Amino acid sequence: MDARNPLADAQAATSLTVRVRPGRRVADRVLRLSCLVATLVGAAVLGSILLMLIVEGVKGLSPTLFTQPTPGPGSEGGGIANAILGSIVLTLIGIGVATPIGVMAGTYLAEYGRNSKLADLIRFLNDILLSAPSILIGLFVYTLMVRPMGTYSGWAGGVALAIIATPVIVRTTEDMLRLVPGSLREAGAALGAPPSRVIMSVTWRAASAGIVTGIILALARIAGETAPLLFTALNNNSWFNANLMGGVANLPVMIYQFALSPYPNWQGLAWAGALVITMTILALSIVARFVIKPQRAR
Amino acid sequence: MNAAPAISAAPSGRSQANETAPVRIAVKNLDFYYGSFHGLKGINLDFRDRQVTALIGPSGCGKSTLLRTFNRIYSLYPEQRAEGEILLDGRNVLDPKVDLNELRARVGMVFQKPTPFPMSIYDNVAFGLRLYEKLPKAELDVRVEESLRKAALWDEVKDKLKQSGMGLSGGQQQRLCIARTVAQRPEVILFDEPTSALDPISTGRIEELIEQLRNEFTIAIVTHNMQQAARISQFTAFMYLGELVEFGPTNRIFMNPKKRQTQDYITGRFG
Repeated sequence: MDARNPLADAQAATSLTVRVRPGRRVADRVLRLSCLVATLVGAAVLGSILLMLIVEGVKGLSPTLFTQPTPGPGSEGGGIANAILGSIVLTLIGIGVATPIGVMAGTYLAEYGRNSKLADLIRFLNDILLSAPSILIGLFVYTLMVRPMGTYSGWAGGVALAIIATPVIVRTTEDMLRLVPGSLREAGAALGAPPSRVIMSVTWRAASAGIVTGIILALARIAGETAPLLFTALNNNSWFNANLMGGVANLPVMIYQFALSPYPNWQGLAWAGALVITMTILALSIVARFVIKPQRAR
Repeated sequence: MNAAPAISAAPSGRSQANETAPVRIAVKNLDFYYGSFHGLKGINLDFRDRQVTALIGPSGCGKSTLLRTFNRIYSLYPEQRAEGEILLDGRNVLDPKVDLNELRARVGMVFQKPTPFPMSIYDNVAFGLRLYEKLPKAELDVRVEESLRKAALWDEVKDKLKQSGMGLSGGQQQRLCIARTVAQRPEVILFDEPTSALDPISTGRIEELIEQLRNEFTIAIVTHNMQQAARISQFTAFMYLGELVEFGPTNRIFMNPKKRQTQDYITGRFG
């Protein structure tokens, strides 16, 4: 090789890459292709679901969708306003109960229980709860609240959703607090601040974007839950009682019941409801992404 | 590195050690354990009032460990414990009855990496002040400005006190941490390698600052940089493998060390 000629060097380098064992190039191509195909399959499934949802859901959109309650069997018109409002109320009860419990428990695990066996046990149980089948949670709240109270209620539905949301919030809160550098806690302690003050003024603040994101994601998760509501809030074809006793209309169970019905009007409303709930969850997820962004920019 | 730069780094401008200044912190027979590891062995050392005492030695020799006993910050970690006596104005800070929060208000600490809290510059400085004193707003403003001036940061931040402390440069963040510590009017300030994460210009400013702070506070500083120790300290303690090898006025330690190990370390033969 002529060391003084850069062009010759470059050619030699190129010829070296060309001479790579053919088997390796094939393996590389095969792997790359299978990754691409797998990605396309996944995206295609998601895309077709969304496409179908939009096409069918838009057909079901009507001026009365957001103003009128669900219609009776076989009748025309109507809307899903009662189910939308019911879903908002149930979700807010769920997240309202789950947030303080989840944030406090996550704080205990990350800040106070670092070396304790109790914390290890709680973390383990929380992980189990995180993956518990949601229908079981519905049945649990049924025996806990619906049977003793003698009626389905929005309160029971909210509690069932809270049980789903709590482990999500516990987990994200603990993970986010663990990302806060120990030096920040030491700096707080070195100024003479007691642990409670360091947690409230320093570590919570430092992890706030992550904790809020966890709460929003838990909100998105419970907004679409059906199974825990089947035995608790049930559903209702009219406006629910102000005290939330009796069945409370909600989108997931409404979709479940209307989609299985023989009435085209109900089926159209189920599509529209599915579109509304999917877009809401999409919006929540996008908001969650934006909340976490400023943190990274720092 | 050879012997010449380390020794010539001792500037003539630095004030001489005052060997008759009253003792602020007296360390007596101090032992320290990380679990079963014996981190400090029988340390005896005096820190004199309004003098800068530098702790030098190779990594793992225990200099940071020693510093972290003075405000008992090590007690955040249950497996760490200290035995012996550390007398702060005659009172043993290792006594379990000592109120940790009060101790830490009297013995401030600045860390290796700047640790601004995720809040405004003003709130960072006011953080320690709000812990114990219910100061009226006007007085709080005065104390915050006074502290930022003492930390040589006021002119750079006076127009953006409401902005986040995280937005400052590394050197500014470190001076913010110094302001936060100074605001509590402690008696002693501990610096744990305060410039090792900073560029040379920021380092120079922090060194000048420490020189000024010495007029008001007793200072202990851990440093890996021997020139820095020579430039800013009046006393130097050389530690090795958890033991105090040699202690004395900085001039004497650098010009005329008595122990062979000290001589080898400051001339760069090991460490």
